[in-house]
Amino acid sequence: MEKTGKTKYVISAFFVLTAHIAMLYSMFYNGNYDSPSKLIVLSMAVIGLDFVYFIAMLFFKQTTYTIDFMLIFILNISLIFQSSFGGIQLSVKHLVTCIASLVACRLGYILCRDHKWIQTKKKAFYIATGIIILSILTLTGSRSMWIDLGFFTIQPSEFLKPAFILVCTTYVAEQQNKVSIWKFNIVPENLICTAFIILICGLQWWCRDLGSLPTFVAIYLCGLCARLCYPKAKLSKKLIVTGIILIGVLAIIAVILAPPYVKARLFVDIWSDSTGDGYQQSQALIAIANGGWFGKGAGNGDLHNIFAYETDLVFASICEEWGLFFALMVVAVILIMLACPLVNPPRSYFHATLATGVCSAFVVQMALNIFGSCNMIPFTGVTVPFISQGGSSMVTCGFMMGMLIAGQSPVFKNPVVKNNKKRKRVTAR
Amino acid sequence: MKSIKRSLRLVSVLILAFIAGMIMLVLKIQREAGFYISHSDNAELGLVYDRNGDVLFDSDATPDKYGDNYFIDVGNLIGDAKGQMTNTLVAKNIEKLNNYSFSMGLVPKGGKSSIHTSLDHYANRIVYDSFGDSEGCAVAYDYKTGEILVCTSLPSLDVTKGYSGIADFETGTLISKVMYGTVPGSTQKVSTLLSAFQIMGKDKLFSKSYTCEGVYMNKGGNKIDCHNSYGHGTQNIQQAFQNSCNPFFAQLVEDDDMPLEEIIKCYEKMGYAVNDDEEKYFDINGIKCERASTTLTDSYDFNTQWGCIGQGKTLVSPMQLMLWQSGIVNETGKMTMPYLIKYTTNVDGEIGDWADTSFSEEVFTPESAVEVKNIMLENGKNYSESISGYTLGIKSGTAQIKDGEEENSLLVGFIENERHPIAFCVLLENKENSATRSENIVKTMLDALCK
Repeated sequence: MEKTGKTKYVISAFFVLTAHIAMLYSMFYNGNYDSPSKLIVLSMAVIGLDFVYFIAMLFFKQTTYTIDFMLIFILNISLIFQSSFGGIQLSVKHLVTCIASLVACRLGYILCRDHKWIQTKKKAFYIATGIIILSILTLTGSRSMWIDLGFFTIQPSEFLKPAFILVCTTYVAEQQNKVSIWKFNIVPENLICTAFIILICGLQWWCRDLGSLPTFVAIYLCGLCARLCYPKAKLSKKLIVTGIILIGVLAIIAVILAPPYVKARLFVDIWSDSTGDGYQQSQALIAIANGGWFGKGAGNGDLHNIFAYETDLVFASICEEWGLFFALMVVAVILIMLACPLVNPPRSYFHATLATGVCSAFVVQMALNIFGSCNMIPFTGVTVPFISQGGSSMVTCGFMMGMLIAGQSPVFKNPVVKNNKKRKRVTAR
Repeated sequence: MKSIKRSLRLVSVLILAFIAGMIMLVLKIQREAGFYISHSDNAELGLVYDRNGDVLFDSDATPDKYGDNYFIDVGNLIGDAKGQMTNTLVAKNIEKLNNYSFSMGLVPKGGKSSIHTSLDHYANRIVYDSFGDSEGCAVAYDYKTGEILVCTSLPSLDVTKGYSGIADFETGTLISKVMYGTVPGSTQKVSTLLSAFQIMGKDKLFSKSYTCEGVYMNKGGNKIDCHNSYGHGTQNIQQAFQNSCNPFFAQLVEDDDMPLEEIIKCYEKMGYAVNDDEEKYFDINGIKCERASTTLTDSYDFNTQWGCIGQGKTLVSPMQLMLWQSGIVNETGKMTMPYLIKYTTNVDGEIGDWADTSFSEEVFTPESAVEVKNIMLENGKNYSESISGYTLGIKSGTAQIKDGEEENSLLVGFIENERHPIAFCVLLENKENSATRSENIVKTMLDALCK
């Protein structure tokens, strides 16, 4: 690392550490804790994780560490939040998932940093996606989205998100390879991707995880748009119009065929049904109002008595204890992470498409959670990336953030191929 | 690079769209936070005052603090925040009473949120007491400005005593009867008279005369009884109105110059829901008030004629009966819209929500209003002894309810007085068993308001 790079690294680390210490300091004065020892344990976990990550990152030679610093920044803020709802005590479970998220981030980075290599592994992602779909079909059951392993549960549909992003991204370079089917010039890879999204939609419907549907659809549509932008990959107007009509028809059919519990959520008046279907949202809004701009203080909230306060209602929980201002700051940090590719653009179209897919997944999930819990749109029960509790979600988000980092610090080297035929094909891209 | 930039534009669009959504969310929270808190168990509510600064609602009120039954005359109108009564001023405007702001949070002490009403608690209480053991309701308002001055309904409750024994509460205790439809009796003839003037015109209507012999066999073969079994003889419209003669009005409805379609049009213009089973409401500071309703099917049909006379299926709220009086006495055909809230103050004591006088669209023609006003003023002279001291326009009504087992007495009207422009409606239930009369209540009310 160069001298200026080292200075920047130290300044960034100092900033992250200072911010976390400031939050812990605020908890010391305004927080609700039984004994200082609980706060000390939490502080040690936060500061310890900061230091370990700062050191661990040095083993990875990257062009920039911006997202990495922001990731540890947001993850430890998340740990502080999750350890403060309803009373300060270290949330060991969340600490473990934060660490898992950081590890997944490294894996995501390693996997995606070389765009040429990863595009040769297209079939592997098809298989991985297929395996996840199969696991949902065989292990979760038709009314569940969880696989119970006894000591913990996992939500396989979460892992489907990065896998589907990779499916959408790895074949982006195939756009010139069109074949004529009926009167349309179609890229077979696009059909495969469309088949996947239809399969995923059916699967989500089957296991009653409709909340995640918009995320998958957004990933697919962003992938589609990215393909439209691909050089010389012009899609005919006929196809675009047909696609839009098809999506519209499918959306209408989905609303008509939606099960009663979904329709109830689509059209519920939360204040006239504030003890029934509107209970969680009305309590969330009351909590936000109670928190005001600067909150009631860590651990002083009441929303922790409501189901899903730490997952689906996490934005309201933060607003209540830390205030709307702080909650907005946290959302802003996530948005800045997502906006990093705009400041430091990827140097390959693969990484640009990857950034689009990750951004769409994160933005849609945040929108569904925050706007849903605040009664601006139907309440679907998805998580806010990195903030909500949940191992599957944290690991997945970490992995997707690794994909984003890969676009910031890519590796350019030709893939090692054994026969000349393959080499030619890779070079042609 | 160009294609990469195009792809990244999508990222910009997504992020900007999300930011736009967040801005909308913050604005929504800012605007509605008071409303959310009002649904919370922790809400800190301010006070409701009458026009003279008398307290009408205090969430911390106890009988010891204010005296026994202090709020009973406004119990089912002002209400409380306990959720038992949902169509009350407090229930419908609870967010305005919140001692809360998003930046300050809840302000338990020192918060200045309040609602200042147009009610005169002194007069209201006197009117309430004037009912004695009887039940019913009374409402009066300033027909120039729309300020509701008196609005009381019996039986009522003292909200400071809570709802223990709610199962034993008398029917109607938890609602203000002023806002709900009742059989209007002959006060309905005001509406029919207004319609007749609009359909026939003054000259033709005054030229009409019908004979009452105590009972009238209508063209459908049904008997229409008159309260005067000896009959009123041959009368014109003014005499029939003063006599409140049922056979006259039945014949008027049957008259070929008074087509039913035209009556329906006039009624609907006045706000009646005609031949419509759906309950409809209008709004007074959030409080729902039932719209008038009736069933009119055939000019020769007994129920149609009976409806135009004010019996049977016709239902009109005392509030609505009073509002039409404003259109008559102002000679505009437009109702002065009523309000209870004069202004509010927020948690910092800043005044807002100033009430403005507003008028409805024209619900009947000014010409018909002038004629009906004159007839009502003429009729008012008959009350010069029982309601002395006022230039009064009035119409009485006797409503048969419970299949004629009981009769309610109604009085609706106005006084012509520049200083006290008051329109009113009084409903006295089961008048035969009542120790008082509706005229006495009106007199008490006007005396209290014009003190």
